[in-house]
This record gives sequence, C-alpha cells and structure tokens, in this order.
Amino acid sequence: MSAVALSVRPVADRRERALVRDAQRGSVRALEQLFRLHWPRAYRAALLVVGDAAAAEDIAQESFLAAVRALDRFDRRRPFGPWLHRIVVNRAIDWSRARTLRREVGVDAVPEPAAVQRESGGRADELAVALASLSAEHRAVVVLRYLLDYTPGEIAELLDLPRGTVNSRLRRGLDRLHEGLA
Amino acid sequence: MNVKRAFERVPVDREAEERAWTVVRAAFAEREPVHVVRRRWPVAVVALAAVCLAAALSPPGRAVVNAVRRSIGITHASPALFRLPAPGRLLVSGGGGTWVVTADGSKRRLGDWTSASWSPHGLFVVTADRDSLAAVEPRAGVVHWSLSRPAVALPRWGGTRLDTRIAYLSGSSLRVVAGDGTGDRLVAAHAARIAPVWEGSRHVLAYATAGGAVVVRDTDTGKVLSRRHVGDARALAWSRDGRLAIATSRGVDGLRLRGVRAIAFAPNGDLAIVTAHALLVSGPEGVQTVLRVAGRLAGVAWSPDGRWLVTSLPGADQWVFVGRRGRVLGVAHIARQFGGGEPELDGWVPDA
Repeated sequence: MSAVALSVRPVADRRERALVRDAQRGSVRALEQLFRLHWPRAYRAALLVVGDAAAAEDIAQESFLAAVRALDRFDRRRPFGPWLHRIVVNRAIDWSRARTLRREVGVDAVPEPAAVQRESGGRADELAVALASLSAEHRAVVVLRYLLDYTPGEIAELLDLPRGTVNSRLRRGLDRLHEGLA
Repeated sequence: MNVKRAFERVPVDREAEERAWTVVRAAFAEREPVHVVRRRWPVAVVALAAVCLAAALSPPGRAVVNAVRRSIGITHASPALFRLPAPGRLLVSGGGGTWVVTADGSKRRLGDWTSASWSPHGLFVVTADRDSLAAVEPRAGVVHWSLSRPAVALPRWGGTRLDTRIAYLSGSSLRVVAGDGTGDRLVAAHAARIAPVWEGSRHVLAYATAGGAVVVRDTDTGKVLSRRHVGDARALAWSRDGRLAIATSRGVDGLRLRGVRAIAFAPNGDLAIVTAHALLVSGPEGVQTVLRVAGRLAGVAWSPDGRWLVTSLPGADQWVFVGRRGRVLGVAHIARQFGGGEPELDGWVPDA
C-alpha cells in the first residue's frame, strides 16, 4: 500500500490486525471499530493543521474513504494508524495551500488561516493564535510529534522530509507555541 | 502550558464523526473487492500476436509499420516537437502522464495523470486520474490539493479570477468543486461521457445527460437555464460571446456533418470542427476544410492568438499544426516524446 507503512512502526497490534483482516473480508462491524478507533485523532490532527472544522471533517472523512478504497491491497501486518495519519496530514497541508486557488491569484498572495474553534475556551484561543503564526508545514510536524506521538525520524519518513528539516520545524514550532501558551 | 495536553483538549465533533461514518459505511458497501483474474488467452491469439510483434520489431517489419504510418499521416513531418508555431503553453495528457509544452519546445511532465485542463487564466492545471482530482501548479508541478473520487475524468476549470469552479465526471455523475477544492457537490447523477463546458466567466455550465439532453445550469443556484434534447451529443464548446455549439452525430452549429469528434472556438468566434478525416473552420465567411487526411483525427486546440490549430493523428503518431494561411506542419513520434500512449490535446493558453 504505502512505502511509509513498511517501516514506520512496522508491527500492527494483534487486535488491529484482526480488525483489518475482518474488514477486508467484508465485516462492517470491524470497519466501524477501526473507524471509531482512529477517527478522533485523525479529525483532531486535521483540525489542528487547517484550523477549520468543516475542512477538518472533509479531510478526515476523505482519508477514511481512501483507506476503504485501498483496503483490499492493505498489508495487514502493518499498522493502520501511520498510513492513515500520513494521508490526513498531507491532505491537510494540501488544503491549506489550496486556499489560494479559489481566487486564481498565485500561490503566495493569500495568508494562511489557522483558527481552531473556540468551543474549548480561552486556552483554545491562545492555541489558535499560536498555531496561526506557523505555516501549515510547521503545524503538521508539530501535530505529528505532540498529538500523534511520532518520533522525528518517523515524521521524516511519513512526510518524506530530511530529518534535519523535521527537527528545525519542530524547534521553531515548539518555540512559537510555548510563547503563545506561556 | 504543555503542548500535548493542549492538543488533546481540542474538542472532537461527534456529529461530524457520525456524518463521516455514514459516508464511509456507504462507500464500504459499494466497494468492489479486488480479484486477480487470470485471463486465458486462446493459444492462437497469443501466437498470432507474437508473430505480429516479431514482424513489427524486425527491421523489415518496422519499415512496413513506418510506411503505413506515413501513408495515413503527414509526409515530411518534423521528427520531434522542436517548438510550437505560436506563443503560449500547450497542455497534453494521456497514458504517459500530463505535460506542459512551452513555445520553445521545452516540455515539463507534471505527473502521472490521464486528463487535465487549464484554469481560466492559465495559472493552474486541474488533473485527473482513475480515482483522484488534483489542482497543480504548472511550473513546479506542486499539488495544491486533491480529492479522492472514483472514476474521475474530463475535469474542466471555469469561473472568474476571484471565484473559480471545476466541473468533472466521477463515474456517470457530474460534480462541481470550487477552485480551492472545497464545496464538492453533485450536479447531475447521470451525465454523458463528454466534457462539460463553462460559459465565459460565469458559473454557468453546459453538459450532456445520459438521456440525450444538453442542460445549461447555474451551478451556484442549481437553476436550469435551458434544456434541449439532442439525442447523441458528441462535444460541446462555448464561444467568448456566449454561443453554445453542440456537436451531434448529425452535425454541429447548423452544419450537416457526419462523425464530428471535437470542436473548439477561436478567440474571434470561428469554430474548428474535427471529423474523422478532416479539420474544418466555420466562420462568418462560410466553412473551409483546412486539412484532410487518410488517418483518423482526434482532438483540437487553437493557439491563444487564434492563428494556428493543432490536431492529433494517433494512428500516425503525429500532431498536425495548421496555420490560418494554409501552412501545415507535422510532428512525428509524439507518443515517444510524451511517455507513451496517445497524448490528448487539453488546451493551449497564453504564457502566464
């Protein structure tokens, strides 16, 4: 399925492997368990990168649809999460870049928005402001590290980036977030 | 504050989760599991194919193949596309991917897509392959967004500079999405497999239905502006002054012509018409046949200045450029230059 799934966290746990196997055999129940297991983190990751709840819903949903379409080819010895997260985060980055295209004005003309919804109170506002100061690419790296718990090496592999780039984005992103959330 | 804790406190919308699960479950129910089918080709067919292949690959066989190609194509064709005869950028896609050709003949491969079209001002390209639609920046090939949809084909980008729209086919349904990849929605459930066309700078789309009608619809309001039963639409085109041309098996634009395969309006309103073996131009002074060949023609595009037409001769592996003054330039070995297959002409736009 994906080259990433071959090396990032190479071993799927037994329960997830069984769910993927049953879903491949047509079990809706197994698919629902996989969906419920991974939806919250997929949605939250998308939301933190794009800062738009409707877009986050679309991105997470599209990522699951991609998973369903490729389910028959999925190597169930590999974990499902890293593969899904890679799709989610790359789509979220694409979405952030794409906001320039609705107006056909060129790629650098529109500033990137990032405003996490305000339901969770004042701290969420601070988080939104802090995230907004980062580019989508920086937000993606920070989200993979601090929400989804990937190591810098794994992030480099997931996003096809040099390890040094990941480290520098993490450093810069974390500094900005700490400033914003201090 | 701990960043991880802050991230984990971001609320998850449970209603969104339920909406998504409904969609994912429906997609799961519709999926077709992959089965590896081993085709057992009849031995005679395989043997015949092997003989033909061996003959074609042998020096005498190769000569025969080339002779056949010459007989259906343009003699004295240039061996490669060294330059375009007019300024602008030509978009091409097919089995070898999507390519942009510039006036000096340089080519850039944008990616592994099978069909494409320019954005209204040529700043971006929308591309499609079997199961995705993507917006691509044509200089560096950067993908700005993509959408997963089944059986995507014939994307067409229209609208105003400030608010663009993309129409595309997904299986038999016609869908429209904003130029930034948002707001994707169904426009027609049963569309015919011909390219939809946008009217100038409005969000008005013309498309053919599977039932044989050509519908003109405002895609923002959903209002049907006109509906005309034509039976078997083959191609649609919209002129800059708002004239919709509909090609059917009986003709186009009031002309009785058999086998119309493609049409395109020039900037001045002249209509280029491709039939199986001829390229015609219809204008205020009547209809003129500008090219007639033995082989089958496919596709057509005007140069941005309206002085040249390009059409394709897949059987001869050639492109043919035809000038307003009757000049004809052939270019050979097209498949080899664009990664194989039969590359289709997706549009010729001014330099950005």
